[in-house]
Amino acid sequence: MSSEDDFSRFSRRELLTASVGMASLAMISSARLQAMEDDSSEFPIIDTNVSLFRWPFRRLPLDTTAALQKKLQSLGIVQAWAGSFEGLFHRDLVGVNSRLIEECRQHKMFVPIGSVNPTLPGWEQDLQRCLAEESMLGIRLHPNYHGYTLDSPNFSRILKLATEAGRFVQLAVALEDTRTQPEQLQVPDVDLTPLPTIVKRIPQARVQLLNDRPRGSLINQLRAVPGIYFDTARVDGTDGIPNLVQSVEPGRVLFGTHSPFLIPEAALIRTHESGRFNPSALRSVLAENAERFREGNVT
Amino acid sequence: MKDDIIQLGLPSAQRLKDYRIWDSYFTPSHSRPGRDGSELIIADIERSLPAIEKGQFEKLCYFAHVGLGTTTDPDFEKLAQSTPEVILKPLQRWPNLLLGMIILNASKVEESLEALDRWLRDGPMLGVYFPGGGPGALPCSHRNFHRLVERIADLGGVIMQHTWFKTGGKQGAGESTPAELAQLAAHYPNQPFICAHAGGEWEQGNRAVAESPNILVETSGFDATAGFIDMAVRDLGAERVVFGSHLPSRSLGTELSKVIAADISERDKRMILGENYRQLLQPMLKSKAD
Repeated sequence: MSSEDDFSRFSRRELLTASVGMASLAMISSARLQAMEDDSSEFPIIDTNVSLFRWPFRRLPLDTTAALQKKLQSLGIVQAWAGSFEGLFHRDLVGVNSRLIEECRQHKMFVPIGSVNPTLPGWEQDLQRCLAEESMLGIRLHPNYHGYTLDSPNFSRILKLATEAGRFVQLAVALEDTRTQPEQLQVPDVDLTPLPTIVKRIPQARVQLLNDRPRGSLINQLRAVPGIYFDTARVDGTDGIPNLVQSVEPGRVLFGTHSPFLIPEAALIRTHESGRFNPSALRSVLAENAERFREGNVT
Repeated sequence: MKDDIIQLGLPSAQRLKDYRIWDSYFTPSHSRPGRDGSELIIADIERSLPAIEKGQFEKLCYFAHVGLGTTTDPDFEKLAQSTPEVILKPLQRWPNLLLGMIILNASKVEESLEALDRWLRDGPMLGVYFPGGGPGALPCSHRNFHRLVERIADLGGVIMQHTWFKTGGKQGAGESTPAELAQLAAHYPNQPFICAHAGGEWEQGNRAVAESPNILVETSGFDATAGFIDMAVRDLGAERVVFGSHLPSRSLGTELSKVIAADISERDKRMILGENYRQLLQPMLKSKAD
Protein backbone atom coordinates (compact mmCIF):
# COMPACT_ATOMS: atom_id res chain seq x y z
CA MET A 1 0.00 0.00 0.00
CA SER A 2 1.38 3.42 -0.91
CA SER A 3 1.75 6.26 1.54
CA GLU A 4 -1.02 8.13 -0.27
CA ASP A 5 -3.34 5.20 0.26
CA ASP A 6 -2.38 5.15 3.90
CA PHE A 7 -3.15 8.82 4.28
CA SER A 8 -6.51 8.61 2.54
CA ARG A 9 -7.53 5.77 4.79
CA PHE A 10 -6.44 7.79 7.82
CA SER A 11 -8.30 10.90 6.80
CA ARG A 12 -11.54 9.00 6.54
CA ARG A 13 -11.25 7.14 9.77
CA GLU A 14 -9.86 9.89 11.92
CA LEU A 15 -12.91 12.02 11.34
CA LEU A 16 -15.02 9.26 12.75
CA THR A 17 -13.16 8.93 15.99
CA ALA A 18 -14.58 10.41 19.11
CA SER A 19 -13.46 13.78 20.32
CA VAL A 20 -11.24 13.49 23.29
CA GLY A 21 -10.60 15.76 26.17
CA MET A 22 -9.43 15.85 29.67
CA ALA A 23 -11.98 13.32 30.73
CA SER A 24 -10.36 10.70 28.58
CA LEU A 25 -7.03 10.98 30.30
CA ALA A 26 -7.29 8.25 32.81
CA MET A 27 -5.13 6.16 34.99
CA ILE A 28 -5.46 2.66 33.65
CA SER A 29 -3.50 -0.47 34.16
CA SER A 30 -0.97 -1.74 31.65
CA ALA A 31 -3.04 -4.86 31.18
CA ARG A 32 -6.15 -2.87 30.39
CA LEU A 33 -4.32 -0.64 27.94
CA GLN A 34 -2.91 -3.69 26.24
CA ALA A 35 -6.38 -5.13 25.88
CA MET A 36 -7.78 -1.88 24.53
CA GLU A 37 -4.92 -1.59 22.06
CA ASP A 38 -5.62 -5.10 20.90
CA ASP A 39 -9.13 -3.96 20.11
CA SER A 40 -7.96 -1.14 17.89
CA SER A 41 -6.87 -1.99 14.39
CA GLU A 42 -4.40 0.82 13.94
CA PHE A 43 -2.85 3.99 15.30
CA PRO A 44 -2.22 6.19 12.27
CA ILE A 45 0.02 9.05 13.28
CA ILE A 46 0.75 12.61 12.15
CA ASP A 47 4.24 13.88 12.96
CA THR A 48 4.04 17.68 13.10
CA ASN A 49 7.78 18.22 13.48
CA VAL A 50 10.35 16.85 11.06
CA SER A 51 13.02 18.56 8.95
CA LEU A 52 14.43 17.61 5.58
CA PHE A 53 17.97 17.93 4.19
CA ARG A 54 21.21 18.10 6.14
CA TRP A 55 21.72 19.11 9.76
CA PRO A 56 24.57 21.63 9.49
CA PHE A 57 26.85 20.11 12.13
CA ARG A 58 26.98 16.37 11.49
CA ARG A 59 25.47 13.69 9.32
CA LEU A 60 22.37 12.07 10.78
CA PRO A 61 21.38 8.45 10.14
CA LEU A 62 18.03 9.44 8.57
CA ASP A 63 19.06 12.62 6.77
CA THR A 64 17.98 11.46 3.33
CA THR A 65 14.30 11.92 2.65
CA ALA A 66 13.84 8.35 1.42
CA ALA A 67 15.41 6.90 4.56
CA LEU A 68 13.36 9.17 6.82
CA GLN A 69 10.17 8.29 4.97
CA LYS A 70 10.86 4.58 5.29
CA LYS A 71 11.51 4.86 9.02
CA LEU A 72 8.48 7.05 9.75
CA GLN A 73 6.17 4.78 7.77
CA SER A 74 7.52 1.77 9.63
CA LEU A 75 6.36 3.46 12.84
CA GLY A 76 2.83 4.05 11.53
CA ILE A 77 3.35 7.72 10.72
CA VAL A 78 1.25 8.58 7.69
CA GLN A 79 1.92 12.30 7.39
CA ALA A 80 4.85 14.47 8.48
CA TRP A 81 4.99 18.26 8.48
CA ALA A 82 8.43 19.08 7.16
CA GLY A 83 10.56 22.15 7.55
CA SER A 84 14.04 22.48 6.11
CA PHE A 85 17.36 22.50 7.92
CA GLU A 86 18.53 24.73 5.07
CA GLY A 87 16.19 27.38 6.41
CA LEU A 88 18.42 27.95 9.41
CA PHE A 89 21.37 29.61 7.71
CA HIS A 90 20.61 30.05 4.01
CA ARG A 91 19.58 33.54 2.95
CA ASP A 92 18.13 32.43 -0.38
CA LEU A 93 14.87 31.25 1.13
CA VAL A 94 13.19 31.10 -2.28
CA GLY A 95 15.65 28.36 -3.15
CA VAL A 96 15.27 26.71 0.25
CA ASN A 97 11.50 26.55 0.05
CA SER A 98 11.50 25.51 -3.61
CA ARG A 99 13.73 22.54 -2.84
CA LEU A 100 11.53 21.64 0.11
CA ILE A 101 8.40 21.73 -2.02
CA GLU A 102 9.99 19.61 -4.72
CA GLU A 103 11.24 17.06 -2.19
CA CYS A 104 7.78 16.80 -0.69
CA ARG A 105 6.28 16.32 -4.14
CA GLN A 106 8.53 13.33 -4.60
CA HIS A 107 7.82 11.93 -1.15
CA LYS A 108 4.14 12.31 -0.62
CA MET A 109 3.96 11.72 3.10
CA PHE A 110 5.77 14.99 3.76
CA VAL A 111 3.86 18.27 3.87
CA PRO A 112 6.09 21.31 3.24
CA ILE A 113 6.20 23.97 5.91
CA GLY A 114 8.20 26.87 4.51
CA SER A 115 10.80 28.96 6.29
CA VAL A 116 10.40 32.71 6.66
CA ASN A 117 13.07 35.01 8.05
CA PRO A 118 11.73 38.48 8.84
CA THR A 119 15.21 39.93 9.16
CA LEU A 120 15.77 39.49 5.42
CA PRO A 121 14.71 42.03 2.81
CA GLY A 122 11.67 40.77 0.94
CA TRP A 123 10.42 38.43 3.64
CA GLU A 124 6.85 39.41 2.84
CA GLN A 125 7.32 37.90 -0.62
CA ASP A 126 8.60 34.67 0.94
CA LEU A 127 5.51 34.56 3.11
CA GLN A 128 3.29 35.25 0.14
CA ARG A 129 4.91 32.48 -1.88
CA CYS A 130 4.48 30.00 0.94
CA LEU A 131 0.90 30.78 1.79
CA ALA A 132 -0.71 32.05 -1.42
CA GLU A 133 1.27 30.60 -4.29
CA GLU A 134 2.19 27.25 -2.75
CA SER A 135 -0.84 26.96 -0.47
CA MET A 136 1.22 25.70 2.45
CA LEU A 137 -0.62 24.85 5.62
CA GLY A 138 1.68 27.03 7.65
CA ILE A 139 5.19 28.35 8.04
CA ARG A 140 8.05 27.65 10.43
CA LEU A 141 10.03 30.34 12.22
CA HIS A 142 13.48 30.17 13.83
CA PRO A 143 13.79 33.45 15.75
CA ASN A 144 16.92 32.38 17.64
CA TYR A 145 18.81 31.25 14.56
CA HIS A 146 17.62 34.27 12.57
CA GLY A 147 18.46 36.80 15.24
CA TYR A 148 15.24 38.43 16.37
CA THR A 149 13.03 38.32 19.43
CA LEU A 150 9.30 37.79 19.67
CA ASP A 151 8.71 41.42 20.57
CA SER A 152 9.99 42.37 17.13
CA PRO A 153 7.14 44.04 15.20
CA ASN A 154 7.77 41.72 12.28
CA PHE A 155 6.94 38.66 14.36
CA SER A 156 3.51 40.07 15.16
CA ARG A 157 3.12 41.02 11.52
CA ILE A 158 3.90 37.50 10.30
CA LEU A 159 1.51 36.01 12.79
CA LYS A 160 -1.22 38.43 11.76
CA LEU A 161 -0.74 37.78 8.05
CA ALA A 162 -0.63 34.01 8.49
CA THR A 163 -3.76 34.12 10.64
CA GLU A 164 -5.61 36.28 8.11
CA ALA A 165 -4.71 33.68 5.49
CA GLY A 166 -6.10 30.95 7.75
CA ARG A 167 -2.70 29.32 8.30
CA PHE A 168 -0.68 28.37 11.33
CA VAL A 169 2.80 29.30 12.50
CA GLN A 170 5.28 26.83 13.93
CA LEU A 171 7.81 28.42 16.23
CA ALA A 172 10.93 26.33 16.80
CA VAL A 173 11.93 27.18 20.37
CA ALA A 174 15.15 25.16 20.10
CA LEU A 175 16.77 22.72 17.76
CA GLU A 176 19.52 21.43 20.02
CA ASP A 177 20.23 21.35 23.75
CA THR A 178 22.25 24.48 24.45
CA ARG A 179 24.73 22.35 26.40
CA THR A 180 25.78 20.39 23.33
CA GLN A 181 25.93 23.11 20.70
CA PRO A 182 29.17 23.98 18.88
CA GLU A 183 31.26 26.28 21.02
CA GLN A 184 31.50 28.95 18.32
CA LEU A 185 27.81 28.85 17.40
CA GLN A 186 25.72 28.96 20.53
CA VAL A 187 22.03 29.64 20.06
CA PRO A 188 19.88 30.17 23.15
CA ASP A 189 16.31 28.91 23.28
CA VAL A 190 13.72 31.41 22.09
CA ASP A 191 12.49 33.64 24.92
CA LEU A 192 8.75 33.02 24.89
CA THR A 193 7.90 35.69 27.47
CA PRO A 194 6.23 38.08 24.97
CA LEU A 195 4.26 35.34 23.19
CA PRO A 196 1.08 35.12 25.31
CA THR A 197 0.42 38.84 24.99
CA ILE A 198 1.03 38.81 21.23
CA VAL A 199 -1.15 35.78 20.54
CA LYS A 200 -3.98 37.21 22.63
CA ARG A 201 -4.00 40.29 20.39
CA ILE A 202 -4.60 38.23 17.24
CA PRO A 203 -7.88 36.33 17.41
CA GLN A 204 -7.80 32.93 15.72
CA ALA A 205 -3.99 32.84 15.68
CA ARG A 206 -2.52 29.34 15.88
CA VAL A 207 1.07 29.00 17.08
CA GLN A 208 2.67 25.64 17.69
CA LEU A 209 5.82 25.58 19.81
CA LEU A 210 8.32 23.01 18.56
CA ASN A 211 10.96 21.36 20.71
CA ASP A 212 9.95 23.29 23.77
CA ARG A 213 10.61 21.78 27.16
CA PRO A 214 7.89 23.44 29.23
CA ARG A 215 9.08 24.53 32.65
CA GLY A 216 9.12 27.40 35.08
CA SER A 217 6.44 29.96 35.66
CA LEU A 218 6.12 30.88 31.98
CA ILE A 219 4.38 27.61 31.21
CA ASN A 220 1.32 28.76 33.13
CA GLN A 221 1.08 31.89 30.97
CA LEU A 222 1.45 29.85 27.79
CA ARG A 223 -1.19 27.39 28.91
CA ALA A 224 -3.61 30.23 29.54
CA VAL A 225 -3.69 31.28 25.89
CA PRO A 226 -5.82 28.97 23.73
CA GLY A 227 -3.98 29.79 20.49
CA ILE A 228 -0.70 28.32 21.72
CA TYR A 229 -0.03 24.65 21.04
CA PHE A 230 2.77 22.27 22.00
CA ASP A 231 4.61 19.34 20.51
CA THR A 232 6.03 16.24 22.15
CA ALA A 233 9.56 16.14 20.73
CA ARG A 234 11.54 17.20 23.82
CA VAL A 235 8.95 16.71 26.56
CA ASP A 236 10.90 14.19 28.59
CA GLY A 237 10.28 12.19 31.76
CA THR A 238 8.39 8.94 31.83
CA ASP A 239 5.09 10.76 32.33
CA GLY A 240 6.04 14.12 30.83
CA ILE A 241 3.63 14.00 27.90
CA PRO A 242 0.55 12.91 29.92
CA ASN A 243 1.38 15.60 32.47
CA LEU A 244 1.52 18.24 29.74
CA VAL A 245 -1.73 17.05 28.20
CA GLN A 246 -3.39 17.08 31.58
CA SER A 247 -2.25 20.62 32.27
CA VAL A 248 -3.65 22.29 29.15
CA GLU A 249 -7.00 22.46 27.44
CA PRO A 250 -7.93 19.49 25.26
CA GLY A 251 -6.39 19.36 21.83
CA ARG A 252 -3.30 21.45 22.44
CA VAL A 253 -0.54 18.83 22.44
CA LEU A 254 0.40 17.56 18.99
CA PHE A 255 2.73 14.67 18.30
CA GLY A 256 6.11 15.71 16.92
CA THR A 257 9.45 13.91 16.84
CA HIS A 258 12.03 16.46 15.67
CA SER A 259 13.47 13.74 13.51
CA PRO A 260 15.88 13.13 11.98
CA PHE A 261 17.85 15.13 14.59
CA LEU A 262 16.17 13.11 17.32
CA ILE A 263 15.34 9.42 17.04
CA PRO A 264 11.64 9.26 16.08
CA GLU A 265 10.91 6.27 18.31
CA ALA A 266 11.80 8.40 21.35
CA ALA A 267 8.73 10.65 21.34
CA LEU A 268 6.50 7.85 20.13
CA ILE A 269 7.35 5.54 23.03
CA ARG A 270 6.99 8.43 25.48
CA THR A 271 3.35 8.87 24.50
CA HIS A 272 2.39 5.51 25.95
CA GLU A 273 5.12 4.24 28.28
CA SER A 274 3.49 5.51 31.48
CA GLY A 275 0.22 3.76 30.71
CA ARG A 276 -1.72 6.91 31.53
CA PHE A 277 -3.43 7.40 28.17
CA ASN A 278 -6.37 5.32 27.12
CA PRO A 279 -6.47 4.59 23.36
CA SER A 280 -8.79 7.50 22.70
CA ALA A 281 -6.45 9.98 24.38
CA LEU A 282 -3.53 8.45 22.56
CA ARG A 283 -5.24 8.93 19.22
CA SER A 284 -5.85 12.57 20.05
CA VAL A 285 -2.18 13.25 20.68
CA LEU A 286 -0.92 11.10 17.82
CA ALA A 287 -3.20 12.45 15.10
CA GLU A 288 -6.53 14.05 15.86
CA ASN A 289 -5.19 17.18 17.53
CA ALA A 290 -2.92 17.78 14.54
CA GLU A 291 -5.80 17.28 12.15
CA ARG A 292 -7.94 19.83 13.95
CA PHE A 293 -5.04 22.25 14.28
CA ARG A 294 -4.27 21.90 10.58
CA GLU A 295 -7.84 22.64 9.57
CA GLY A 296 -8.22 25.53 11.96
CA ASN A 297 -10.97 23.65 13.76
CA VAL A 298 -9.53 24.32 17.16
CA THR A 299 -10.73 25.02 20.64
CA MET B 1 2.60 -5.70 12.07
CA LYS B 2 -0.13 -5.79 14.66
CA ASP B 3 2.43 -6.40 17.37
CA ASP B 4 4.49 -3.44 16.17
CA ILE B 5 1.42 -1.22 16.41
CA ILE B 6 0.67 -2.32 19.96
CA GLN B 7 4.22 -1.56 20.98
CA LEU B 8 4.23 1.84 19.18
CA GLY B 9 7.93 2.29 18.51
CA LEU B 10 9.13 -0.60 20.64
CA PRO B 11 10.23 -4.06 19.53
CA SER B 12 7.93 -6.90 20.52
CA ALA B 13 7.70 -7.74 24.21
CA GLN B 14 9.42 -11.04 23.54
CA ARG B 15 12.34 -9.40 21.80
CA LEU B 16 12.73 -6.95 24.68
CA LYS B 17 12.70 -9.85 27.10
CA ASP B 18 15.31 -11.63 25.04
CA TYR B 19 17.62 -8.61 25.35
CA ARG B 20 17.76 -9.24 29.14
CA ILE B 21 17.94 -5.53 29.91
CA TRP B 22 19.97 -4.47 32.94
CA ASP B 23 19.74 -0.75 33.53
CA SER B 24 22.95 0.74 34.90
CA TYR B 25 21.56 4.22 35.60
CA PHE B 26 18.21 4.28 37.37
CA THR B 27 17.65 7.59 39.15
CA PRO B 28 14.52 7.57 41.32
CA SER B 29 14.55 10.81 43.30
CA HIS B 30 18.22 11.04 42.58
CA SER B 31 19.08 13.94 44.87
CA ARG B 32 16.37 13.71 47.59
CA PRO B 33 15.68 10.35 49.20
CA GLY B 34 13.02 11.77 51.48
CA ARG B 35 12.86 12.40 55.20
CA ASP B 36 12.31 8.79 56.18
CA GLY B 37 15.29 7.79 54.10
CA SER B 38 13.47 6.41 51.07
CA GLU B 39 9.91 7.66 50.64
CA LEU B 40 10.65 9.78 47.59
CA ILE B 41 12.79 7.05 46.06
CA ILE B 42 10.01 4.53 46.49
CA ALA B 43 7.45 6.93 45.01
CA ASP B 44 9.63 7.45 41.95
CA ILE B 45 10.19 3.71 41.55
CA GLU B 46 6.44 3.19 41.57
CA ARG B 47 6.11 6.00 39.04
CA SER B 48 8.62 4.18 36.82
CA LEU B 49 7.08 0.73 37.02
CA PRO B 50 4.85 1.01 33.92
CA ALA B 51 7.89 1.88 31.79
CA ILE B 52 9.98 -0.80 33.49
CA GLU B 53 7.31 -3.36 32.67
CA LYS B 54 6.83 -2.06 29.15
CA GLY B 55 10.56 -2.28 28.54
CA GLN B 56 10.77 -5.76 30.06
CA PHE B 57 13.70 -4.72 32.24
CA GLU B 58 15.26 -7.49 34.34
CA LYS B 59 17.29 -5.33 36.73
CA LEU B 60 17.86 -1.68 37.50
CA CYS B 61 20.71 -0.18 39.50
CA TYR B 62 20.06 2.94 41.55
CA PHE B 63 22.44 5.08 43.59
CA ALA B 64 21.88 5.41 47.33
CA HIS B 65 22.90 8.37 49.47
CA VAL B 66 24.42 6.86 52.61
CA GLY B 67 24.86 9.80 54.95
CA LEU B 68 28.12 11.15 53.55
CA GLY B 69 26.74 14.64 53.12
CA THR B 70 25.84 14.26 49.45
CA THR B 71 22.34 15.70 49.85
CA THR B 72 21.13 19.11 50.94
CA ASP B 73 18.70 17.56 53.42
CA PRO B 74 20.17 17.69 56.95
CA ASP B 75 17.36 15.56 58.38
CA PHE B 76 18.10 12.78 55.95
CA GLU B 77 21.83 12.98 56.57
CA LYS B 78 21.29 12.62 60.33
CA LEU B 79 18.90 9.72 59.84
CA ALA B 80 21.23 7.91 57.45
CA GLN B 81 24.02 8.12 60.01
CA SER B 82 21.95 7.10 63.02
CA THR B 83 19.74 4.49 61.34
CA PRO B 84 21.53 3.33 58.20
CA GLU B 85 19.14 0.43 57.65
CA VAL B 86 16.55 2.88 56.26
CA ILE B 87 18.73 3.12 53.19
CA LEU B 88 17.96 -0.49 52.36
CA LYS B 89 14.18 -0.11 52.10
CA PRO B 90 14.02 0.06 48.28
CA LEU B 91 16.23 -3.03 47.93
CA GLN B 92 14.11 -4.86 50.49
CA ARG B 93 10.87 -3.96 48.71
CA TRP B 94 12.09 -4.95 45.23
CA PRO B 95 14.80 -7.54 45.94
CA ASN B 96 14.54 -9.20 42.54
CA LEU B 97 14.41 -5.99 40.54
CA LEU B 98 16.85 -3.57 42.12
CA LEU B 99 20.61 -3.42 42.39
CA GLY B 100 22.36 -0.73 44.38
CA MET B 101 25.48 1.35 44.45
CA ILE B 102 26.44 4.04 46.95
CA ILE B 103 27.07 7.71 46.28
CA LEU B 104 30.51 8.63 47.57
CA ASN B 105 31.70 12.00 48.75
CA ALA B 106 35.25 12.47 47.50
CA SER B 107 35.60 15.49 49.79
CA LYS B 108 35.32 13.12 52.77
CA VAL B 109 37.86 10.42 52.07
CA GLU B 110 37.97 8.72 55.48
CA GLU B 111 34.18 8.57 55.82
CA SER B 112 33.90 7.30 52.25
CA LEU B 113 36.42 4.56 52.95
CA GLU B 114 34.36 3.48 55.94
CA ALA B 115 31.25 3.49 53.80
CA LEU B 116 32.95 1.24 51.26
CA ASP B 117 33.57 -1.33 53.96
CA ARG B 118 30.06 -1.08 55.34
CA TRP B 119 28.14 -1.11 52.08
CA LEU B 120 30.34 -2.91 49.54
CA ARG B 121 32.49 -5.29 51.59
CA ASP B 122 29.91 -6.09 54.25
CA GLY B 123 26.67 -4.95 52.61
CA PRO B 124 24.63 -5.47 49.46
CA MET B 125 25.99 -2.65 47.30
CA LEU B 126 27.89 -3.40 44.10
CA GLY B 127 29.80 -0.24 43.37
CA VAL B 128 29.96 3.51 43.68
CA TYR B 129 28.68 6.61 41.97
CA PHE B 130 30.64 9.84 41.86
CA PRO B 131 28.22 12.72 41.22
CA GLY B 132 28.89 15.77 39.08
CA GLY B 133 27.22 18.21 41.44
CA GLY B 134 25.71 18.66 44.86
CA PRO B 135 27.44 18.84 48.21
CA GLY B 136 30.95 17.43 48.24
CA ALA B 137 31.26 16.77 44.51
CA LEU B 138 34.81 17.01 43.20
CA PRO B 139 36.15 16.62 39.68
CA CYS B 140 37.65 13.16 39.26
CA SER B 141 41.01 14.73 38.51
CA HIS B 142 41.25 15.61 42.23
CA ARG B 143 43.92 13.74 44.21
CA ASN B 144 41.33 12.50 46.72
CA PHE B 145 40.08 10.02 44.16
CA HIS B 146 43.16 7.85 44.26
CA ARG B 147 42.71 6.31 47.71
CA LEU B 148 39.05 5.71 46.99
CA VAL B 149 39.63 4.10 43.60
CA GLU B 150 42.33 1.85 45.05
CA ARG B 151 39.97 0.60 47.74
CA ILE B 152 37.08 0.14 45.30
CA ALA B 153 39.42 -1.87 43.08
CA ASP B 154 40.41 -4.04 46.03
CA LEU B 155 36.75 -4.80 46.68
CA GLY B 156 35.96 -5.48 43.01
CA GLY B 157 33.42 -2.66 42.86
CA VAL B 158 32.12 -0.87 39.79
CA ILE B 159 32.72 2.87 39.38
CA MET B 160 30.13 5.09 37.72
CA GLN B 161 31.44 8.64 37.19
CA HIS B 162 29.07 11.41 36.12
CA THR B 163 30.56 13.27 33.14
CA TRP B 164 29.62 16.10 30.83
CA PHE B 165 31.31 18.18 28.18
CA LYS B 166 29.16 21.31 28.37
CA THR B 167 29.27 24.04 25.79
CA GLY B 168 30.57 27.11 27.54
CA GLY B 169 32.34 25.12 30.23
CA LYS B 170 31.51 23.39 33.47
CA GLN B 171 28.38 24.48 35.32
CA GLY B 172 29.87 23.65 38.68
CA ALA B 173 33.26 23.12 40.25
CA GLY B 174 32.44 19.50 41.04
CA GLU B 175 31.72 18.48 37.48
CA SER B 176 33.96 16.04 35.64
CA THR B 177 34.63 15.66 31.93
CA PRO B 178 35.33 12.44 30.04
CA ALA B 179 38.85 13.76 29.47
CA GLU B 180 39.39 13.99 33.23
CA LEU B 181 38.06 10.48 33.68
CA ALA B 182 40.50 9.26 31.03
CA GLN B 183 43.35 10.75 33.07
CA LEU B 184 42.18 9.02 36.23
CA ALA B 185 41.55 5.70 34.49
CA ALA B 186 45.06 5.69 33.06
CA HIS B 187 46.40 5.14 36.60
CA TYR B 188 44.28 2.00 37.10
CA PRO B 189 44.32 0.00 33.87
CA ASN B 190 42.76 -3.06 35.52
CA GLN B 191 39.83 -1.16 37.04
CA PRO B 192 36.79 -0.54 34.81
CA PHE B 193 35.19 2.89 34.91
CA ILE B 194 31.81 3.85 33.48
CA CYS B 195 31.66 7.27 31.87
CA ALA B 196 28.08 8.27 32.68
CA HIS B 197 26.26 10.06 29.85
CA ALA B 198 29.25 9.61 27.52
CA GLY B 199 29.95 13.24 28.28
CA GLY B 200 26.47 14.37 27.15
CA GLU B 201 28.03 15.95 24.08
CA TRP B 202 28.97 12.50 22.92
CA GLU B 203 30.93 13.35 19.81
CA GLN B 204 33.66 14.72 22.07
CA GLY B 205 32.90 12.29 24.88
CA ASN B 206 33.43 9.20 22.74
CA ARG B 207 36.67 10.64 21.38
CA ALA B 208 37.98 11.56 24.83
CA VAL B 209 37.77 7.98 26.12
CA ALA B 210 38.45 6.12 22.90
CA GLU B 211 42.05 5.33 23.85
CA SER B 212 41.13 4.26 27.39
CA PRO B 213 40.18 0.60 27.12
CA ASN B 214 39.08 0.39 30.76
CA ILE B 215 36.40 3.07 30.25
CA LEU B 216 32.90 2.17 29.11
CA VAL B 217 30.36 4.82 28.13
CA GLU B 218 26.86 4.93 29.60
CA THR B 219 24.03 5.96 27.31
CA SER B 220 21.57 8.12 29.28
CA GLY B 221 21.06 11.71 30.31
CA PHE B 222 20.79 13.66 27.07
CA ASP B 223 18.23 13.99 24.30
CA ALA B 224 17.75 11.06 21.92
CA THR B 225 20.18 12.56 19.44
CA ALA B 226 20.50 10.29 16.45
CA GLY B 227 23.82 8.63 15.72
CA PHE B 228 25.28 8.34 19.22
CA ILE B 229 25.25 4.58 19.56
CA ASP B 230 26.38 4.09 15.98
CA MET B 231 29.44 6.25 16.66
CA ALA B 232 30.18 4.63 20.02
CA VAL B 233 30.04 1.12 18.56
CA ARG B 234 32.19 2.18 15.62
CA ASP B 235 34.87 3.89 17.71
CA LEU B 236 34.80 2.02 21.04
CA GLY B 237 33.18 -1.31 20.19
CA ALA B 238 29.85 -2.52 21.52
CA GLU B 239 31.61 -4.17 24.45
CA ARG B 240 32.37 -0.71 25.85
CA VAL B 241 28.82 0.65 25.90
CA VAL B 242 26.31 0.10 28.74
CA PHE B 243 22.65 1.06 28.78
CA GLY B 244 21.14 3.44 31.31
CA SER B 245 17.52 4.63 31.55
CA HIS B 246 17.73 7.67 33.82
CA LEU B 247 14.11 6.90 34.74
CA PRO B 248 11.90 8.56 35.70
CA SER B 249 13.26 12.06 35.01
CA ARG B 250 14.21 10.86 31.54
CA SER B 251 12.18 8.17 29.84
CA LEU B 252 12.01 4.75 28.28
CA GLY B 253 11.40 6.46 24.95
CA THR B 254 14.41 8.73 25.05
CA GLU B 255 16.85 6.22 26.46
CA LEU B 256 15.87 2.85 25.06
CA SER B 257 15.34 4.26 21.56
CA LYS B 258 19.01 5.20 21.40
CA VAL B 259 19.90 1.51 21.38
CA ILE B 260 16.97 -0.19 19.70
CA ALA B 261 16.90 2.27 16.78
CA ALA B 262 20.65 2.24 16.18
CA ASP B 263 21.99 0.70 13.00
CA ILE B 264 23.93 -2.04 14.80
CA SER B 265 23.59 -5.80 15.06
CA GLU B 266 21.19 -7.56 17.40
CA ARG B 267 24.24 -9.08 19.08
CA ASP B 268 25.57 -5.57 19.80
CA LYS B 269 22.21 -4.51 21.20
CA ARG B 270 22.17 -7.46 23.61
CA MET B 271 25.66 -6.58 24.80
CA ILE B 272 24.81 -2.92 25.35
CA LEU B 273 21.45 -3.55 26.98
CA GLY B 274 22.64 -6.09 29.50
CA GLU B 275 25.58 -8.38 28.87
CA ASN B 276 28.32 -5.81 29.31
CA TYR B 277 26.94 -4.56 32.59
CA ARG B 278 26.43 -8.06 33.96
CA GLN B 279 30.02 -8.82 33.14
CA LEU B 280 31.21 -5.73 35.02
CA LEU B 281 29.17 -6.67 38.05
CA GLN B 282 30.23 -10.30 38.01
CA PRO B 283 33.03 -10.08 40.62
CA MET B 284 30.77 -8.37 43.14
CA LEU B 285 27.78 -10.56 42.41
CA LYS B 286 29.95 -13.63 42.83
CA SER B 287 31.42 -12.39 46.11
CA LYS B 288 27.94 -11.66 47.48
CA ALA B 289 26.73 -15.10 46.41
CA ASP B 290 29.70 -16.74 48.12
